[in-house]
Amino acid sequence: MGHPDSLGHGVGLRRDHFDRILARPARVDWFEAISENFMVPGGRPLDVLTRVRERYPIVLHGVSLSIGSTDPLDDKYLDRLDALAKRFEPAWVSDHLCWSGVGGRQAHDLLPLPYTAQALDHVVGRVQRVQERLGRPFVLENVSSYVAYADSAMPEWEFLAEVARRSGCGILLDINNIYVSAKNHRFDPRDYILGVPKEAVRQFHLAGHSNKGTFLLDTHDHPVIDEVWELYKDAVRRFGPVSTLVEWDDKIPPFERLEQESIRAKEIQDEALGPAPVKTGRGTA
Amino acid sequence: MKSGAPPDLKQTQELFWALITAPEGVRAAIDQPSGRGGGIDPAQVDAVFAGDENLPAVERLDIYANMYFFRLLDCLAEDFPKLRAALGPERFHNLVTDYVLQHPSEHPSLRYLGRRLPEFVAGHAPSAGFPFLADLVRLEWTRAGVFDAPDSATLTRAALARLPQESVGEARFRFVPAFALLRFDHEVVRYWRALDEAEADGGATDPAAVPHPARRKTAARVWRKDLVVYHAGLDEEEAHALELALQGETLGRICQVLAAGLSPAQATERAGRMIQAWIDDGILADCGPNTSL
Repeated sequence: MGHPDSLGHGVGLRRDHFDRILARPARVDWFEAISENFMVPGGRPLDVLTRVRERYPIVLHGVSLSIGSTDPLDDKYLDRLDALAKRFEPAWVSDHLCWSGVGGRQAHDLLPLPYTAQALDHVVGRVQRVQERLGRPFVLENVSSYVAYADSAMPEWEFLAEVARRSGCGILLDINNIYVSAKNHRFDPRDYILGVPKEAVRQFHLAGHSNKGTFLLDTHDHPVIDEVWELYKDAVRRFGPVSTLVEWDDKIPPFERLEQESIRAKEIQDEALGPAPVKTGRGTA
Repeated sequence: MKSGAPPDLKQTQELFWALITAPEGVRAAIDQPSGRGGGIDPAQVDAVFAGDENLPAVERLDIYANMYFFRLLDCLAEDFPKLRAALGPERFHNLVTDYVLQHPSEHPSLRYLGRRLPEFVAGHAPSAGFPFLADLVRLEWTRAGVFDAPDSATLTRAALARLPQESVGEARFRFVPAFALLRFDHEVVRYWRALDEAEADGGATDPAAVPHPARRKTAARVWRKDLVVYHAGLDEEEAHALELALQGETLGRICQVLAAGLSPAQATERAGRMIQAWIDDGILADCGPNTSL
């Protein structure tokens, strides 16, 4: 049994693994490509993505849409994203519930939003415009955060749920980000899982982080920790077997290590969902 | 922002930005209103951001400030490895600090963060002791541009041979987008090789100790073959021939220039070898009497 549009278990497509992935079949179901890395005129990145796409489903995952910025939406960026999506036909396009810059400058970071009615209206309107521009499924991911705003009027999961409900976008639930933010802002990560509308969740992210003593930092340079695997199990129980992706962006290990992490996610998903119904070989009445 | 009024989203984001990009850090930007961070009211910061006794808001903002700078530093270190090797980590760090202050990223992709670095290093006073840096940075940035320049069909020897004999002299070349001709004031290609050798030395040689390149007019071409970027130093003859070809001069005219001081047979052989190398390296897209640039 699978989620209607589940891609299964995948990993992020990273330059360190290009040769390995092209050389022989990977034990993963799909790849997620960072959109901006392929918004280039030509050369190796596009050649690799073309060849990967011939063999696997992909999702385009952006980091610079800056959906929450008060700067105007960047039409040139959207044009490039649209062209990339038309060329590679991803299962969906995703980005983050955050802002990345203001005044025409880019932080290249996923900066948190205040969870206010003003920010909600702002984000919903922009998500609607992005969806109209792209004309394909669009999904927003929760980010790890380290600072909160005094005037936030709702928890992040309520804000995210409202954005999805009002705009119709999907949700990419990053389980590690929930865990990191829960520790940094002292909330129960299970409240987050329970607070997100089941029907909107399209994808999970899993990753490692670093413990800096007084806070957790979302570094994507470690294996997924046991507590995050437990939270993943909770998420699978609530949302079902949605597409799951393991990210590893720094101190990148051999591809086989990443495959193992993805296989582990599959095993944990299967464990969370219990044994599959036994097939009897006869039709049921 | 009016005191006591809740900030709107734009004001909040501008405040956040000012704090995390302040060169001396978040705390200094608040404590030193006359500093480069620019007079940030501590009451404003308290009104907008929330922390706790475990981690106050300023320390939380500092996490973003550190990530902001080190992400840009890492990106430029990756895009300009030879610049970093030449300067050493500390000087490189300082150069990047000055650069991102003057040229914060304005493109959604980090790929373009370094686009103004070639002109910046040329006028960067603390780097005045490294007069060759502008050349070195231009070579690195050009390589980055060639790496992901548009794909293109390339001219083959067979296609060139098919040109009618009577029109060969009038033929012009069109170059692929993944190609560049560079002229330098220093021997940076030789220096690049020396840095490579130092790096290959397993740490025995400090790249920053490699003798700086001599001041001398040199040229190089940068190209991409089978998705891999190469560069090579050129003698003046080839650099000039490439320049003429890029300007749209005919093959006949290029041969004429090359012939200076050579017998006709030598000139033909020289031009032939040169053009064959250009074809084999995939830098020519097309050639013909009607080829437009």
